[in-house]
Amino acid sequence: MPEKLLLEIKGVSKFFPGVRALDNVSFDLRKGEVHALCGENGAGKSTLMKIISGLYKADEGEIIYKGEPVAFNDSKESSSAGISIIYQELNLIPHLTVAQNIFINREPLSGFGIIVDEKKMRQDAVEILDRLNVKINPDAEVRTLPVSKQQMVEIAKALSTKSEILIMDEPTSALTENEIEELFKVISSLKNEGVGIIYISHRLEELKHIVDRISVFRDGQYISTDKFSDVTLPQIVNKMVGRDLKNQFPVRKSKPTGKKIFEVKNLNRPGKIENINFDLYEGEILGFSGLMGAGRTETARAIFGADTDVTGEVILGGKVLNIKNPREAIQNGIAYLPEDRKREGLAVNMLLFENITLANLAEVSKSFGVISRKAENQVSEKYIKDLSIKTSSDSQIVKNLSGGNQQKTVISKWLFKKSNVLIFDEPTRGIDVGAKYEIYKLLDELALNGIGIIIISSELPEILGLTDRVVVMCSGKVANILKTRETTQEQILNYAAGISSNNDN
Amino acid sequence: MTIKGNTKKLLKLNIFGEDHILQKFIAVSGLLVLLVYFSVSTNNFFTPRNFLTIGLQTTTIAFMGIGVTFAIITGGIDLSIGSVVALTGVTAGLLVKAGAPVWLAFIAALLAGLACGIINGLLITKIKLPPFIATLGMMMVARGIALQITDAKPVSGLPDAFGRLGNGTLFEIRNSAGDLQFVGIPYPVIIMIATALLFSFILTKTKIGRYTYSIGSNEEASRLSGINVNFVKIISYSICGSMSGLAGIIIMSRLVTAQPNAGVAYELDAIASAVIGGTSLMGGIGTISGTMIGAFIIGILRNGLNMQGVSSFVQQIIIGIVIIVAVGFDQLRNRKV
Ligand SMILES: Nc1ncnc2c1ncn2[C@@H]1O[C@H](COP(=O)(O)OP(=O)(O)OP(=O)(O)O)[C@@H](O)[C@H]1O
Ligand SMILES: [Mg+2]
Repeated sequence: MPEKLLLEIKGVSKFFPGVRALDNVSFDLRKGEVHALCGENGAGKSTLMKIISGLYKADEGEIIYKGEPVAFNDSKESSSAGISIIYQELNLIPHLTVAQNIFINREPLSGFGIIVDEKKMRQDAVEILDRLNVKINPDAEVRTLPVSKQQMVEIAKALSTKSEILIMDEPTSALTENEIEELFKVISSLKNEGVGIIYISHRLEELKHIVDRISVFRDGQYISTDKFSDVTLPQIVNKMVGRDLKNQFPVRKSKPTGKKIFEVKNLNRPGKIENINFDLYEGEILGFSGLMGAGRTETARAIFGADTDVTGEVILGGKVLNIKNPREAIQNGIAYLPEDRKREGLAVNMLLFENITLANLAEVSKSFGVISRKAENQVSEKYIKDLSIKTSSDSQIVKNLSGGNQQKTVISKWLFKKSNVLIFDEPTRGIDVGAKYEIYKLLDELALNGIGIIIISSELPEILGLTDRVVVMCSGKVANILKTRETTQEQILNYAAGISSNNDN
Repeated sequence: MTIKGNTKKLLKLNIFGEDHILQKFIAVSGLLVLLVYFSVSTNNFFTPRNFLTIGLQTTTIAFMGIGVTFAIITGGIDLSIGSVVALTGVTAGLLVKAGAPVWLAFIAALLAGLACGIINGLLITKIKLPPFIATLGMMMVARGIALQITDAKPVSGLPDAFGRLGNGTLFEIRNSAGDLQFVGIPYPVIIMIATALLFSFILTKTKIGRYTYSIGSNEEASRLSGINVNFVKIISYSICGSMSGLAGIIIMSRLVTAQPNAGVAYELDAIASAVIGGTSLMGGIGTISGTMIGAFIIGILRNGLNMQGVSSFVQQIIIGIVIIVAVGFDQLRNRKV
């Protein structure tokens, strides 16, 4: 072996009640390389990372770090040994500022080492954020930031310690193209400094920019390790799902009819969105594209009644709605799947079936509001099957599901609450290629049944592969509405970045 | 897979399988250990009569505990319980004194408890006060009203009928000569069983119960799922207020006196019973059966220690330690997978 092995995983197994999360897997990492780890949702990727960082204990096998067997007790130990990790789920403390979060547990001290040097901490935070080339106020409370910025803060936090191994578990699932580009620049320079990086992602197209080697797990088992240049994407997908996947997107069966079912007029929220106008046709899938902070999520929340200081008109089926809160939106047949599953989408301490039926308990209840467990069971089993949610049973605690399977749970919740207009905000965040295909197919079927679908997505291929039209937003305004078939990735990006504007043409 | 792997998997399945079942198991075994210990070490502990006494003594903690379990599961707390006990009790007493029939006075007292709960709920949902603050205020206000309307004096000289609910029994058995064979089951014990079953049903089997959990587990996700969060919270605090009212009525009825000073710090017993029974102060987790076990642990400890002649100060120390051990064990168990 030419390069020195930084990390070696040998025959590691991990069992959870009713689940074999990892079964005798191996993995290694060299200095200065990016080693990608791929696999379907629930394949065991995050579990292995948590074992490396000391959050979980392996049941079998060993971990060799710089030639020595190690078993860290918690992530503080692994981090002082030089292993940083960005977990898949955001773990920031909502009421602390960006700077305080970045340096949590490692605050720079002054005054005989007992007083936190806020000024230095702030300066250091600015320095790291600058390195990532992202505009985030270091004094902002984290809870006020959108998911994408929180993700950048997580990355900044991991970069703020000098480490020899950097583990990134789906760092880009919430990011748009621009931030991903900046992140990749940083990854490249870390590589040159000799840092070994383990990189987990379901956005397979992006791997080519940074990855040196790629390993695949399936169902908790080790499948393969290859030099990235030796394999093609279809080959990787085949190893992941165990069969060939011909297309990433299903052929659309639905198409927009001439009937306008939904319209938004002059939607405003001070400081967030300005004069948003668009319409939606029966059977249409409408995409929303834009950069971080362009106002896509704000628009969806405004329609849904999630925020209060909103003005404008929302018209459904020719009727002007006066939505004051999410409950009224839902009663009127509008569903909104939020982008942040942990904070807004799931009750993670509750069970899988409880989450699936939460927005539509009426349909599984008898008189006097008594819930029928049998009906709940039937409903949840249906969605577990339709979306291939990997779980030991429908009464698994959602917290114990893998990230992608948690996302499928939120999707199930909103599919079960049958609505006329579905607004899905980054619906396929963290979902593997195979399951994405199934979800696209389900959406197509819904559209075929006359439901209007709005997809907010930071993945341009998804916008291009799935939608009929795309609303491009820039700085809180609609930059343009384009016909998907007649547009290109570049055109969308130009509108999103404010380089082109509607007046140009 | 190796045999070693299989056994490990099995072991985990059995020991750490269902979180909730394990929690129950710990609480129930704690209860059994206490029962065995006191039965062996204390004369007259293991007798039907003493069990009825324990049941009777546990009822008030159980009523309040059931109520506060709702508030805690939503992620809140109710500190006004003890004061509401006093206020409702003296309301009943004063009304009877003023000539109202006993049943009407009791219903009015329950409604007073309900009103306190609704006000707590409104303060928390409409004015967005933290539950701790809202119910702390209510604790002082309700106590103040109870003292003010009674001139801080006990309301005594109440008719026998006032004491029937707290002291009467069902299924009393007398032989043909009219001698008492079995004292019967006290009304409060019957009401305790009925309310425990009712609220356990509401919590586990109905929509409102499911919403109570989901709000405590993630309030924002619940709101975005179309749940009327404010309404559910008001219901929870109403249940807590009403159950405090029920406790107030029973306590005063047992004494046949309405005491404006009664119930001081009772909310702490209530919260303790919920917490010992596995209810999480973070919200989202808890059961009525757990709270009942918690209430009985406290009830049996008090009863057994009393019979052994342990001073009330030492009793406090022991119950404090039990709370710390019960919750501490829960925390330890959750720490590492
Ligand atoms: N704490 C836990 N308790 C029980 N089961 C768990 C726990 N953590 C993970 N699992 C199970 O282990 C399996 C592997 O999960 P893991 O999170 O490692 O998947 P993953 O490869 O990261 O998937 P994703 O792409 O969706 O993030 C899943 O089936 C999951 O349900
Ligand atoms: Mg994962």
